[in-house]
Amino acid sequence: MADLNISMTVNGRAVEKSAAAGSRLLDFIRNDLNLTGTKEGCGAGECGTCSVFVDGVLVKSCMVPVAKADGAEIETVEGLAPRRQMTPVQRAFHKTGASQCGYCIPGMVMAASATLRENPQADLEEIKQGLGGNICRCTGYQKIFEAVELARDVINGKVPETALDEDEVGESFIGANVRRLDAPSKVTGALRYAGDMVVPTMLHLQVLRSPHAHALIKSIDTSDAEAMAGVEAVVTAADIPGEDGYGVFVHDQPTLATDKVRYVGEAIAAVAAETEALARDAVKAIKIEYEELPAVFDPHEAMSGGPILHDYAQDNVTYHVPIRKGDVEKGFAEADVIVEQDYDTQPIEHAYLEPEAGLAYEEADGTITIHSPSQNITHHRHAASRILGMPVNKIRMIMSPVGGGFGGKEDMHYQCFLALAALKSGRPVRYVFTREESIIASAKRHGFKIRYKMGLKKNGRITATEMYMVSDGGAYGCSTEGVMRKSAILAAGPYDIPNVKVDTIGVYTNNTPAGAMRAFGALQSEFSTESHLDICAEKLGLDPFEIRRINMMQDGAITHTRQKLGSVSIGQVLDEAEKVSGWESGAPTVRGPVRKDLGGDGNREPCTLVPRHTTTASPEEEVA
Amino acid sequence: MGEKLRGRGMAASWYGIARTATTDRAGAWAELDDGGTAKIVTGVTEIGEGILTVLAQVAAEELGVRPEDVTLGDNDTARSPEAAHAGATRQTYMISNAVALACRDARAKFDPFMADYWDVAVEEIEARNGEVWARDHHNLRMPMEEAVALCKNNGVVPVGAGSFTSEHTGLDPVDGSGRPWQAYVFGTQVCEVEVDTATGEVQLLGVWAAHDIGRVVNPRGVEGQIEGGVVQAVGQALMEDYIQVDGKTTTPGFAKYILPTSLDVPQVTSVLVEDHDPNNPLGVKGIGEPAMVPTSPAIMNAIYDAIGVRITSLPATPEKVLAALRAKRNKDQVAANVAAAE
Repeated sequence: MADLNISMTVNGRAVEKSAAAGSRLLDFIRNDLNLTGTKEGCGAGECGTCSVFVDGVLVKSCMVPVAKADGAEIETVEGLAPRRQMTPVQRAFHKTGASQCGYCIPGMVMAASATLRENPQADLEEIKQGLGGNICRCTGYQKIFEAVELARDVINGKVPETALDEDEVGESFIGANVRRLDAPSKVTGALRYAGDMVVPTMLHLQVLRSPHAHALIKSIDTSDAEAMAGVEAVVTAADIPGEDGYGVFVHDQPTLATDKVRYVGEAIAAVAAETEALARDAVKAIKIEYEELPAVFDPHEAMSGGPILHDYAQDNVTYHVPIRKGDVEKGFAEADVIVEQDYDTQPIEHAYLEPEAGLAYEEADGTITIHSPSQNITHHRHAASRILGMPVNKIRMIMSPVGGGFGGKEDMHYQCFLALAALKSGRPVRYVFTREESIIASAKRHGFKIRYKMGLKKNGRITATEMYMVSDGGAYGCSTEGVMRKSAILAAGPYDIPNVKVDTIGVYTNNTPAGAMRAFGALQSEFSTESHLDICAEKLGLDPFEIRRINMMQDGAITHTRQKLGSVSIGQVLDEAEKVSGWESGAPTVRGPVRKDLGGDGNREPCTLVPRHTTTASPEEEVA
Repeated sequence: MGEKLRGRGMAASWYGIARTATTDRAGAWAELDDGGTAKIVTGVTEIGEGILTVLAQVAAEELGVRPEDVTLGDNDTARSPEAAHAGATRQTYMISNAVALACRDARAKFDPFMADYWDVAVEEIEARNGEVWARDHHNLRMPMEEAVALCKNNGVVPVGAGSFTSEHTGLDPVDGSGRPWQAYVFGTQVCEVEVDTATGEVQLLGVWAAHDIGRVVNPRGVEGQIEGGVVQAVGQALMEDYIQVDGKTTTPGFAKYILPTSLDVPQVTSVLVEDHDPNNPLGVKGIGEPAMVPTSPAIMNAIYDAIGVRITSLPATPEKVLAALRAKRNKDQVAANVAAAE
């Protein structure tokens, strides 16, 4: 397709440039104008990180063909304030701590600015609606709401501009609300994440991924791809010089699949080419012959004679953690009530707004440097040294700003083949995942199936806890071993229980691998314990706080793993939560319809389906 | 026609800080630099939680400068000491202690020089906010910039290194006994929900969260972690679901994989409990992961309180809540029929 000649005004300056036909306004802004404050989070208009103003209207630039913006006036996050200055909205984000990883923040600042431009008096509900098309995965939005309300009040003169200044520091910097040092770079879009980095002569990488959940690879033919002009390197498992295999605990995952694929989305080959489009075309030109194998998607089936994924684990068990303390059978015999219940939790996606990305290049002294939002450069350096067959000090891992991780960027899913492409081509190579690629290729939170049995005395004392947990670890080990361990140790909760029997079993299946995610197995096991305690409290007629106080660990308690603790603060946090919430005590017997502590301070308004957001101007006035 | 019913639930939690069942370690370098500034180098960086600001606060406090004077060189395996990974709620616990120890090491070069220069005891040297002075000698005081220049002109570069260790042991393979962490934190949250019995939709309206996080370095940062953790748990509890059919996901993008937006999130009221950890120089612990642990069971308990259905399978989607309500109505009807027949 022929290029288009685009002329527009961007941040007050005239722009005349050609653009590839079919390219999006987002591509033009980021790649042709190098304004990388506008981010790509999903490419489908669903996350809001790419928000810009087109002729004063807030739009998602990933959804706008650049041709449609020809002649328009564009404003990006870089253009909101003069260089080295910030608008009240940006300063308020800085003040309140509204930015965390920062990847959604340029879009959030744009949406906040749009909301206040439209209605400088916008109330909280209108602000929430104005930000409704922008996802933030870190902050919980509360500090963002606070920032927009503060900016509104400053703009309206309701509070003085000094309200945007940093809080006074008291006796110590420790314990003070020092503003985040990185916030200005995030609210102005100045911070460059790995996918924003550009170096001269840089190639673009694309990856061929498995369409099958379980299949043998009979052959890989890359000759057509390699013959294409502009393709500088094609990398497969055959190019790996060292000992392959990565994983946080067990090194069972190949950098690129060798003889077998074990999940849909597994990387098989990578192409580095002059453009992303060319690399994509070359990926399509790679021919692979598969022989499909029976697959298993349920962990219980996998454990009982399902198809075997890894030779070393004939029962498909990745890792099993037992905790044994006392004698649960004795504990159940002593109990007045025994409560049994099954629980299950679903796999979930980290959904960091920054999709995985990286940039690798060889340095003059032969060092291979890899920039990526890796949560574990130390471990990745070791693993890459082994896989690439290079000394550890010739691997230089640089942690680029992480646009959200939550555990999902602890796995070294792409850094090594990116490095191989750079070594093979002798050129810097950059790889940016699409959202879909990020979702299918990266590890998930483990889904758990939990069988729970608890024995209690009439007075609420727990005499025994037995938990049997089977967890779907997917096709590769990733962090499964650690997740099973943490889940098991914490499973029975902060309670003093004489008899405990806990098993967590992580199992291989042909699902997407499961790995590290914030709260790492404890979320799942403690979810069941805390649900279970409410069921028991109802049966025994005890208030939920009370049943926990009756059983809670005290200072110097012995844990389920027989560790002696020092100070134990569970009593304090129970008291504080009860007090601050104004909790009305009573057994959990569906008291909702009659309880008196509902609807007080600390609640938001329920969201209704009726549009609440109406402009002050009536249609007639607008016509006039 | 359905009703909108409210209810409340609570849940408690505990969590271990830093790497599990294996000794954890982190290193850092520090330098009192020219112009009254300071340089801190450590091998790990921000994943959004605010660690760089925390480290700057700690370094400023330890060295006697201001947070904005601190330059953080970090995150490069070829240029900085090992600090291991960014996860396991270990950043404040491990890295800020490594930085504190490195700063103290730098002060161990700087303070004796100043004591010598002023002819006072080394214990009398104090520094804060870009100034250094000798306690109880009000004429002995100068800007840090000047003091560092003096120190260097006399041949001493005030640099330091620090390594912090957290002693953990592995678990016994048979009975799981062991000392997986040296610091534990505890939390409790109360949730208030509104359930629409016509649509099955659950809205989380309020969360009251009390968490022990050890000594607080940046209260606003801690609140941000709690608010963010709660909202990730809202996703887990009510909407997010990575679905696969024969190994292929049917939720490959944000149109199908539903995340909490600004319209779904509760108001969060945080209470920070500071039970200082005795096993580290700063007394800190952590909050990143534990913030989200009690939320989903507290929501399920609140749903039960509101409508009398117990959701044991996450997430509590509208479809699941409606199905549970239907099952409950049928069960109640059968019980009523039985009672009538008797």
